[in-house]
Amino acid sequence: ADKVNHGPTLVIHGGAGIINRNNFPESKQKEYIDALNGALLVGYEILKKGGDSIDAVEASVRVMEDCPFFNAGKGSVFTLSGKNELEASIMLGIDSHTAGACTLLHTVKNPITLAKTLLQDPENPHVFLGGIEAEKYAKSKGLEMVDPAYFWTKQRWKQHLDGLEKKKPENLKMLNNLDGGDSRDADDPISMGTVGAIAVDINGIISTATSTGGFNNKKDGRIGDTPLIACGTWADNETCGVSGTGNGEFFIRHGVAHDVAARMKYLKESVQDAASTVVRNLKKVGGDGGVIALDKYGNFAMPFNTDGMFRGYIRVSEGVPYAYIFNEQ
Amino acid sequence: MEDCPFFNAGKGSVFTLSGKNELEASIMLGIDSHTAGACTLLHTVKNPITLAKTLLQDPENPHVFLGGIEAEKYAKSKGLEMVDPAYFWTKQRWKQHLDGLEKKKPENLKMLNNLDGGDSRDADDPISMGTVGAIAVDINGIISTATSTGGFNNKKDGRIGDTPLIACGTWADNETCGVSGTGNGEFFIRHGVAHDVAARMKYLKESVQDAASTVVKNLKKVGGDGGVIALDKYGIFAMPFNTDGMFRGYIRVSEGVPYAYIFNEQ
Repeated sequence: ADKVNHGPTLVIHGGAGIINRNNFPESKQKEYIDALNGALLVGYEILKKGGDSIDAVEASVRVMEDCPFFNAGKGSVFTLSGKNELEASIMLGIDSHTAGACTLLHTVKNPITLAKTLLQDPENPHVFLGGIEAEKYAKSKGLEMVDPAYFWTKQRWKQHLDGLEKKKPENLKMLNNLDGGDSRDADDPISMGTVGAIAVDINGIISTATSTGGFNNKKDGRIGDTPLIACGTWADNETCGVSGTGNGEFFIRHGVAHDVAARMKYLKESVQDAASTVVRNLKKVGGDGGVIALDKYGNFAMPFNTDGMFRGYIRVSEGVPYAYIFNEQ
Repeated sequence: MEDCPFFNAGKGSVFTLSGKNELEASIMLGIDSHTAGACTLLHTVKNPITLAKTLLQDPENPHVFLGGIEAEKYAKSKGLEMVDPAYFWTKQRWKQHLDGLEKKKPENLKMLNNLDGGDSRDADDPISMGTVGAIAVDINGIISTATSTGGFNNKKDGRIGDTPLIACGTWADNETCGVSGTGNGEFFIRHGVAHDVAARMKYLKESVQDAASTVVKNLKKVGGDGGVIALDKYGIFAMPFNTDGMFRGYIRVSEGVPYAYIFNEQ
């Protein structure tokens, strides 16, 4: 294992899945790379000044939530009934493993900020809030609230309608197995998605943040892995931070985020070995997706078992963002 | 246990801050695919564990976890027994709710324990935390785990605990064990407790007893009260807890005698 301490580092992802290169020209790819770089630079500025990793990951995820390209915040996919239903979680790697998570949100502009507020609010004894009550809490804490229509984008609405079309009996033979069927859209470059960020700061503290709109035409009321600590998000200074993207149900059934850290803790694997093994094993049981993982020395991994995964990293020691889509890394 | 008013699940569930019953449950199969079902923020489903099982077994359902009104609509559409929210009310839990609100008043605040346990520790009530759970291994060597709860007394409305969270409050894997937790849910979430017991068995090759008792001991060190039950496919089990007591029991088909305990008498 790499024992060099690379110093404050930020790693992000913008979703893994099927990326149809026919519908994803280089000009469009560049737009996504620029967006990833933008998210990296915002987090970097915080880490560079000696800021906390939790602020860096929140800021980076907010950029991706606000960006319509990614399936989180604005640009989120729609539920079966045509609503946007968002969720997020955040966790600190300190001994107490404080965490915040929220789900079934319709009017919170930045779910990751709600998750962070839950984590940091000294009057809140809970980790996870969902639904209308979570939204009331967000409003009471002064978070920016929006009309549900704020999250709408043409691309995702089209993906929703196309998905409904596919479900019609006459089109059923085109449908993939249920687990991936609704989210695999040949016409859409990013058919799965979630965004996430992990950072280690100058104090050696790891924070992880994950946020999503879920998957295209998910049932209303469906909660995925993204707000689930131990499944879609994990942070522990002694092992690593992990943020997942892909078919959420598999991440839940296999406790993916915690499993990466458990392999490091109990098998003494490196962050790269632990993350890549878990992602490979996930593929064997039919789970598509990827993770980003980062240890407190700044060693990281970004394995995925799909066509591509929007991702990137930046080190404070270097100050240059690196962003990738396919296997070019 | 959901239908029995003694336990904090189904009828006899604790109340939220606003005086509602909000229930949740999860269930998981230890087969390779680790199928699971979970539900939360329920007000009208008589048996949440049956909703969780329905989600798991429904071939037209691609999801593991549903919450809120949509979860209730799904339950109704599947013919599950629906009840008026008042069905879950019991006098004991309503008193616990009111007593908890009383404690929060400024003049009473010095009596309050730290927030994490404060609302649920009620000296007058014998069972101040709770959740119910069960793990079984059948003739085919398949492990299943089920957990169900009303949450904790005066929890914020909308609060989701560890009980419906796969890897935190519930786990099942034939090659390691089934785990069902009870106690301060937020700690079970932050420490991925159910999965951690199984990970110790898988990676450290610990026995189910060692894995479960170590995790529960470690939980205490970070301030988490509670316990777990854990069972492997050979029928070896553990029921460690770090609190005064834990309602629990077991039965083996080979013997046909149930054993039930409350304190450390086992």
